[in-house]
Amino acid sequence: MTKTKHLLDLDDADRPFIEALIARARQFKAGVPNENIRLRGKIVLGMFFEASTRTTTSFAVAATRLGAAWIDFRVSDSSLAKGESLEDTMRTIRAIGADAIVVRHAESGFPHALARYFEGAILNAGDGAHAHPTQGLLDAMTLVEEFGDLKGRKLVICGDISHSRVARSSAKAAWLLGASVTLCGPPSLLPPSVPGWGFAHISADMDAVLPSADAVMLLRIQKERARGDDMPPYADLARSYGLTVARASLLKPHCIIMHPGPVNRDVELEASLVRSSASRIERQVENGTYLRMAVLERSLGSSTREHVA
Amino acid sequence: MSGSNHDPRGNRDFVGARVIDPKLGLDAIRTIVVRRGVVAALLEGAPAATDSDSERIDCAGMVLCPGFIDPHVHLRDPGDPQKETLATGLAAAAAGGFTAVAAMPNTRPALDTPERIARLRAGAAAMHGTRCYAIGAITVDRAGDTIAPLRAMAAAGAVAFSDDGSATKSLKALYNAARYTLDLPQPFCSHCDDPSFADGLMHEGDTSNRLGVTGSPSVSEAAIAARDLMVAQATGKSWHLCHVSAAQTVELLAFARSAGIRVSAEVTPHHLQCTDEMLAGFDARYRVNPPLRTAADTAALRDAVASGLITIFASDHAPHTEPEKEPPLSHACVGFTGLEVAVAATFHALPNVELATLVKNYSSNPAELLGVAGGTLEPGSPADITGLYLGRPWTVDPHLFYSKGRVTPFAGITFQVKPALTVVAGSVIMRDGEIRAERTAATPVEQRSSP
Repeated sequence: MTKTKHLLDLDDADRPFIEALIARARQFKAGVPNENIRLRGKIVLGMFFEASTRTTTSFAVAATRLGAAWIDFRVSDSSLAKGESLEDTMRTIRAIGADAIVVRHAESGFPHALARYFEGAILNAGDGAHAHPTQGLLDAMTLVEEFGDLKGRKLVICGDISHSRVARSSAKAAWLLGASVTLCGPPSLLPPSVPGWGFAHISADMDAVLPSADAVMLLRIQKERARGDDMPPYADLARSYGLTVARASLLKPHCIIMHPGPVNRDVELEASLVRSSASRIERQVENGTYLRMAVLERSLGSSTREHVA
Repeated sequence: MSGSNHDPRGNRDFVGARVIDPKLGLDAIRTIVVRRGVVAALLEGAPAATDSDSERIDCAGMVLCPGFIDPHVHLRDPGDPQKETLATGLAAAAAGGFTAVAAMPNTRPALDTPERIARLRAGAAAMHGTRCYAIGAITVDRAGDTIAPLRAMAAAGAVAFSDDGSATKSLKALYNAARYTLDLPQPFCSHCDDPSFADGLMHEGDTSNRLGVTGSPSVSEAAIAARDLMVAQATGKSWHLCHVSAAQTVELLAFARSAGIRVSAEVTPHHLQCTDEMLAGFDARYRVNPPLRTAADTAALRDAVASGLITIFASDHAPHTEPEKEPPLSHACVGFTGLEVAVAATFHALPNVELATLVKNYSSNPAELLGVAGGTLEPGSPADITGLYLGRPWTVDPHLFYSKGRVTPFAGITFQVKPALTVVAGSVIMRDGEIRAERTAATPVEQRSSP
């Protein structure tokens, strides 16, 4: 995966790959001369089959800062549902001409399917419950900014782990950089085997895992995903695995609070914690743009192009 | 082999082969003497002089078995000729070494009336190839609510009943349908998959969780199997579990056997050896129902064959076009083409199971399940014969299939066992992968009579 121009997930990523992207993102954050001509002439299509505000905007800003053109390609899922094959859709897009597609889709594996039919770069902006690699990378960047070396640091991710693409990508990226990762949620929403996904600790007891955490990440409890026979009652999950001010007293003084957003206030995170000194939620968003610049440059930049051509 | 296949008398001597007939306890070199489409004798050694009235077929190097019967195929006729037709499906069956198949009723429209049963049987008979039996739907349109005209379908020749493709939705309909047909020999064949897990795209387990793909757990199969076994127990109806895929279901089978419930079960070659890890790259080709599960499940299924809990093999031949098997997972149709690889793949999965058991599970056991002729080469039986080479390596190339379905998890795999000869009522309909001239001998397809 790390050898291709795509960014589909972090399943095959390694530490140098992640470190290089974070290092480049931090350079962009510090200021890189002539950044606005680095991807001049490149066309990046945003294909968002699922609603998204911050990820779309973040990618669009990142592309624009690098001099690329960002086009919102509003494809409705219905053309596929009506029987048009994915291959036909992708042929159309290829004919229109684009260098990269940033895609978000409700189905896990959808970007992988696109990658079969598109010669340019596919950048996954979230697929089902599978992966959200740029979120995972920007979370890792935020942790590195905070702690430097992540060796010995402990990240706790709380909530509906099973349905969370953020949990999968953020846990993987932090673990690759040396952090210890604990996934915390009710047993039905945790990975079925220990260790979770092959590398993470799992726990159903939030109060037991909070005291040793260096960073705690709350996941958005997705009302729209909760259905009667699939998920526990929304409020019950929030009460059991939400971070309240009372619970936050269990945290170490230096422990930071993260959330991929958007936050359901007083659901997974009590409102007063959102802008507390421990919160890094705005920092995550800020870092997202720089991280996505690094990702776009890697996929579309001239050095990559030589390899691809 | 010499001479023409067009011998209306169906008089042939199959010479030089090792003949295995588990029902007769036979495993020896024999000549199978066929007269008028019926096995006339099993001779030690070749006849001294060839009867001028018969054709001599040299089968040296082959193992000849009672004709293989696949009790679970989807021929897509009527409704989906782009996936398969009777002609292509039955050609695939012949190529795969099958002398008979039983077609599941999930066609469009479903096989839920005596007219549709009769139409399928007549259409298949006109092909003069592999025999094709029909399985009728338990409920109208397989919708799971309203009991179909089961007795009229039985009279029209249905050999079993099933809502295969899904579980019968209403327990009450299933229970009353079983009682309604209690005096009929046609078994009920359960597709075990709870409808509430219909959104599952693969087996729910470590792989699906890692991928973030909605899964269907083993309990979705086992819970329906338990329900249907309770119906079998409560009614006394003879029952059959289709394509068992989960270790948990095997445990239920063991219980049912010990409780004296009249039930048999089948397993497919893919569930014997393929696992959910084949979908680790979101490969939609491997989407199938029931889903490929774990290595522990495949091991439990192989053990169940070895111990005699599972006594029947079935391909669950489910052809789709290649575009229909493309990603994303949710768009891909479920199922594999199976008829042309089933025998080789099954034998491959079970190297430690006796040859006689493997043969029985493809011949006399499905014959007994469906109440159809065949399953033995005992003199007086229809001359339905399957010939195999046991040690002839070949590599699966789906583009050489007669089936329109080309997607199989066994593409590119090299197998040792190769179907070499398919004989129906004394006529050679396949030799060495080549479909031969049509079967011409008049062959009454013997079935149990329905009251």
